[in-house]
Amino acid sequence: MKRMAEWMLAGKKIATRLVTAASLLIAACAFAAAQSSAQMQLPEVHLDAAGLAPRPIEELTGTTIARYYALAWRDMAAALESGRAGGLGDEFVGFAKDRLTRRIAEQNQAGVHVRIVDHGHHLKATFYSTDGAAMQLRDQVELEVQTFDGDKLIDTQNAPREYMVLMTPGADRWYVRDLEEVSAKSF
Amino acid sequence: MTRSLRSRIALGRCLIIVAALWALPGLARAAGLSLPAVVDAGQAFTIPLEGSGQATFYLLGPDHVAKRTVSLGSDLRILSKDVRTAGRYQVILCGSSSSCTSATFEVKAAQPEQLSFFLHPSRVPVSTPDSIDATAFVFDQYFNLVLTPSAVDFQVTPANGAGFSRRVSAQHGVAWMRMDSTPHEGRVQVAAVLGKVEEARVIQQVAAEACGLRMKAMPNGNTVTLETDPVRDCSGNALPDGTVVSFTKVDKKGKSTVDTPIKKGVARVQFSLHGPAQISIACGVVLGNEVALNGKL
Repeated sequence: MKRMAEWMLAGKKIATRLVTAASLLIAACAFAAAQSSAQMQLPEVHLDAAGLAPRPIEELTGTTIARYYALAWRDMAAALESGRAGGLGDEFVGFAKDRLTRRIAEQNQAGVHVRIVDHGHHLKATFYSTDGAAMQLRDQVELEVQTFDGDKLIDTQNAPREYMVLMTPGADRWYVRDLEEVSAKSF
Repeated sequence: MTRSLRSRIALGRCLIIVAALWALPGLARAAGLSLPAVVDAGQAFTIPLEGSGQATFYLLGPDHVAKRTVSLGSDLRILSKDVRTAGRYQVILCGSSSSCTSATFEVKAAQPEQLSFFLHPSRVPVSTPDSIDATAFVFDQYFNLVLTPSAVDFQVTPANGAGFSRRVSAQHGVAWMRMDSTPHEGRVQVAAVLGKVEEARVIQQVAAEACGLRMKAMPNGNTVTLETDPVRDCSGNALPDGTVVSFTKVDKKGKSTVDTPIKKGVARVQFSLHGPAQISIACGVVLGNEVALNGKL
């Protein structure tokens, strides 16, 4: 009887530990998922295509462009922070991809990385070619850009910025082909 | 000792420490950065670095990152290759006391030197309004989009007939125009010209829809042979061989349609007849004449 009681006590302890371990695991998973969803969060993109010429924009095209532009910024921010350019090919092509890839390679050489806190984009479509092969947009964005050398924060820039964007359609998505930061005087 | 006296002593100590640090040789003191606000792409320039000692200099551009140790109190040369891409550049200078100063400047595109030219579509029917679109993107030698207005000439040279030119001012690096196709079939070259730069594309103009479609009937016993006049569009261009012409016969046995391609400019077909018949002809969306057979031609 005594041995049985000891066994039951030991079993209870093991069960308690298992429950604790499982709780910790679930909490860790939830935390990781929360972190992951925070990292995967898309920046807000508002597209204004009023008066677009020479071709008007279809509603679905507008939605698709806003989505892929948001994805492009999310992936660019991730690449600039992590120093890994691998994911850029999903949203960038041409000059934009070449330039970003080079920038990230040189960042890595210098031991520098950049963290972008994206407060949202206001896109204004300015040109859409008749054959639907290219769209030019102007982006007004609020960004906080933190520059690190290793782990040391060396600079923070927090200012409104403007970009000139050229997007072209691919088989199933729109790509950013050119992304140039410009001054407001350019318009 | 009163509180105010103590704070004055503390302040005095601080000032002495700062003065001592300032006097130490080799300790970097990076003052404010003096940068041009705007630089043309590929244009070298210098940044005067105030202070003394060593500092770490960072340059971060759209496609370029540089980090190097610099001597304060001298001029820092930014090379042409450092600023080839248009956009905002960030300069950061960190002294050995861990304090950093930063500033930004803008690199704008240099003079226009490249054109990226699209002509749409590749084939177009003749004399069709607003059917040809030409779009040119203006770039500098480093493939930065040139945002300042520049005049692009679109020169149109048809295979037959007189050419013409249209000047368009590029807005934010894009110049585009829309034009009618010319009346004659054949190659039409459209060139985008900007200064000494010329990019040419060719478009093939083809005959438009048939115009004045007519057939004649040649009865022979219980059969009839139908043959069109040479099939042409309204500008007189022959429709290409292979274009389908439809002949439809209605007689007491019902309705019968034969599609036949144009060969050597005409379409020909033979029907058997069962009493009086009505025959019509069509090509694309164009209807031709009708004939009634059995003595009612």
